[in-house]
Amino acid sequence: MDLGSSFIAAIRWQDAVDILLNSYILFRLYVLFRGTNVIRVIVGIAFLWVFQRVAVAMGLIVTSWAMQGIIAGAALIIIIVFRNEIRSVLQAKNLRGLLWGFPYAAERPPLEVISESVYELARRRIGALIVLPAKDDLEDTCQGGLAWKGQLSKEMLLSIFWNGNPVHDGAVVLQGRQVQQVGTILPLSKREDLPSYYGTRHRAAVGLAEVSDALVVVVSEERGQVVVAKGGELLPIQDNLQLEEILANHGARGLHPRAESWRDKLELGTAALVSTICVLGIWFSFARGLETFTSLEIPIEYMNRSSSMEIFGASVNTINLNLSGSGALIRSLNPDQVKVKLDLSRAKVGPNSYTITREDIDLPPGINLKSVAPATVEVTLDVPVEKELPIQADWSGKLPENLILESVKLVPERVRVVGGSQILKEIDTLYTDKLPLNTLKTSGAMTTRLALQPGTLKIADGARDKVVVRFTLRERRVR
Amino acid sequence: MQTHFHIQRVRIAGLIMLLVLSLPVSTWTADRPLNLAEAVMCEGVRDLAPLNPAAVFSIATGKVSCFSNFDTVPSQSYIYHHWYHRDKLSTKKKLFLKPPSWSTYSSIQLREADKGPWRVEITDDKGTLFATLRFSVTD
Repeated sequence: MDLGSSFIAAIRWQDAVDILLNSYILFRLYVLFRGTNVIRVIVGIAFLWVFQRVAVAMGLIVTSWAMQGIIAGAALIIIIVFRNEIRSVLQAKNLRGLLWGFPYAAERPPLEVISESVYELARRRIGALIVLPAKDDLEDTCQGGLAWKGQLSKEMLLSIFWNGNPVHDGAVVLQGRQVQQVGTILPLSKREDLPSYYGTRHRAAVGLAEVSDALVVVVSEERGQVVVAKGGELLPIQDNLQLEEILANHGARGLHPRAESWRDKLELGTAALVSTICVLGIWFSFARGLETFTSLEIPIEYMNRSSSMEIFGASVNTINLNLSGSGALIRSLNPDQVKVKLDLSRAKVGPNSYTITREDIDLPPGINLKSVAPATVEVTLDVPVEKELPIQADWSGKLPENLILESVKLVPERVRVVGGSQILKEIDTLYTDKLPLNTLKTSGAMTTRLALQPGTLKIADGARDKVVVRFTLRERRVR
Repeated sequence: MQTHFHIQRVRIAGLIMLLVLSLPVSTWTADRPLNLAEAVMCEGVRDLAPLNPAAVFSIATGKVSCFSNFDTVPSQSYIYHHWYHRDKLSTKKKLFLKPPSWSTYSSIQLREADKGPWRVEITDDKGTLFATLRFSVTD
């Protein structure tokens, strides 16, 4: 068996579930936090973790210890620094959004509505500042503002930027088909090279474009000119078609549905693949990398024995297995999960020698067999038969010097026993338990049991297992 | 001379009588099979008789003997004493028998390793079992 197939064979269904579940969790974390700084920090922590593992493998004690501390600290820092992002993900999303929804899929601002609104505002010489976020989170960049969360429409935008509206001075932040926020204050650019006819509105648009990947549409109140700020650049727009094209090419939030869909799929597919590879690596590191050894004493189970035969002896009753596997698997290993089964279907009457092979041993997936002791088991099978045997008293100890044990009579004199035919072939006499001579003073009788050797011998049904020993003592004659 | 003749006559008559008396006996024994009249385990044999027959023998005794007396021996033949220690044949003694009757015995020296139950089987050369004697060797 090559390494690949043996590796696959060793994977349990629990391992597959483990890998898939954690891959999905990692993937979902990416989906939920993408576009935020949390992802970048998590990637940094992942690199630190890899570095720490390498340090452990190389035996760099202080380095691995320091890395461990930094990772623990960084995990804490993530929770504190990015509490807002975490809160917004956990609060804003419903269960579907958390578990399997894709936030960006539904956020496709209608290009025509934006374009028409912008040029209507320009035509009416109403100043406007419209922010279309991309991947970057603008929460820390933009200040103030009121949550609006209204359906995006031409009328809505016109009314927001109408001079009489108290929030007309700030910027509008669009999120998908929603007006997410109004009256938002954007950071001002400190650039000196901006044309003098650009006012605060333009400076704010450039300011946000400088620090984020958002696209900002500015409508000049004085000249009715439309300008787009992106990446710190200001681009005057000639007509609504050009604006639509720029909006469609704007990166993150799917202004162009088809392109957005293709990019999203590619990005999410890559994220899913990377998540799976990461979890596989972690799983392999934990489940396979740290090999632990253990030793188990497992009783032998005999299978497929012929009904006409019985086992009358075995060289061993248990097998010592030396096993290896990951620490987690070895710790959770229950001896009941391990079986040693010997197939006796080809066994013959008499001694049978079996070499224990891997096929005779059932192990849970992920556990490897290192060695078996003993490697060979002798199993004696036989056909049980009944035989009548004479009984003999087995005396021990020492009689007093002046006495002679002249005669012994046993009741019964013979008994029927059941045992293996091969064993009984070798046995001509059954002996009693040891009978002590030291205490004998006069003739008499005593009751004893039979010492059945080997232990597989049994008294036949209906036969007595007790023996009465009548003995006669006499004084020793002078020689 | 007369006295000598008389003695000669008495000798001849005695011989004839012996022949007459012995002929029926030999004819009678030849017709009957080999018969074991007595078989015992004992500490020794003295004056063609077993000494201290018993079922238990101490190693201190030094030896144990199997005495067998055949009251009918039809012809010169052999018998065997098979000595078994715990069902394992320890030794086999071939013993000569002569008609019309014969007593014979075999012995083994006792050692520390001989403790335990023993039996002696007495058979003829065809394996016919005449008797099994059981005994124990102890401290």
